Amino acid sequence: MKWNKKDMQKYVQAKEYVDTAIIPLVPFSFNKPDEEQIGLTFQNEVLELFVDRVERDFTGRVFQLPSYTYIMSNQLEHEVDRLNAFYQQINEQPFKHTFYLTFDSSWKRVEPKLEGNLIWTPVMKDGDLTSKETQKIVMDQIKQITELIRNYWI
Amino acid sequence: MSQDKKNQVSRRQFLNYTLTGVGGFMAAGMLAPMVRFAIDPVLQPKAQGDYVSTGKSVDELTSEPQRVDFTIRQVDAWYESDVSKVAWVYKQEDGSILALSPTCTHLGCFVGWNDNENYPNMFYCPCHDGLYEKSGKNVPGTPPTAPLAAFEHDVKDGILYLGKAIPREEA
Repeated sequence: MKWNKKDMQKYVQAKEYVDTAIIPLVPFSFNKPDEEQIGLTFQNEVLELFVDRVERDFTGRVFQLPSYTYIMSNQLEHEVDRLNAFYQQINEQPFKHTFYLTFDSSWKRVEPKLEGNLIWTPVMKDGDLTSKETQKIVMDQIKQITELIRNYWI
Repeated sequence: MSQDKKNQVSRRQFLNYTLTGVGGFMAAGMLAPMVRFAIDPVLQPKAQGDYVSTGKSVDELTSEPQRVDFTIRQVDAWYESDVSKVAWVYKQEDGSILALSPTCTHLGCFVGWNDNENYPNMFYCPCHDGLYEKSGKNVPGTPPTAPLAAFEHDVKDGILYLGKAIPREEA
């Protein structure tokens, strides 16, 4: 389910079936070198694709929340506090699992302080999403992530 | 007179020619669209209504459900987009084709064929353990309350075309 009216109407009727929340963590920056800047937007596109696919396969059990956007930095301590505040609210609903999905490795360092499950996966710095090879790699990664989420459910 | 000799087209003839010419153009201008309308059905591209080609040859289908990917053009209020769809297609015992929608009738997750070792040869929904028989009929006692929807299908030149997914009532 997504953060829109149609799905929210469904969600309020079927709360007990939807026990997994996914929040994509999206780094934002405008003062990086051009190449990095382009890579950042590319990774955002891939992340959208990831979350969209996972949501599509598990519509009835996964709620895709709005992306959490933050200024890219190595100091994510205060972001952790904010994110934990989100987590508190989500957890009050009957959500058993909360996943954060990101390509930004800085989260890995603050992971112990983070409530909920962080899924960090490496991704190519830049690429062409229309090319067959890239699609294959991305689809394969998505498959592994859906497998991972299914393992939490067992 | 020598001048009359050169003037071989008389005024009357000139006017006749001009009128016939102009009249002819006007008649053609009126008839052309009518003819176009009359033969229009012949000129229509060979679209199968709302059916979309899957590019899958019917000969490849077996009695084992196969995943068939296809793309439809979807227009909603604000966006026009290509949406990729999936169908589970197989040949029934009587040889007819059944194309099932992989959308769980419970809450819409993606239903897989034979992908859980506990439930061989069944459609299994990973979200809430929904089960369907091969025919798409839901197994009582699991969350889904209706059978899987079936796509309308058509075969043209040996290629499988799929249309809308039609919800089915419990048999």
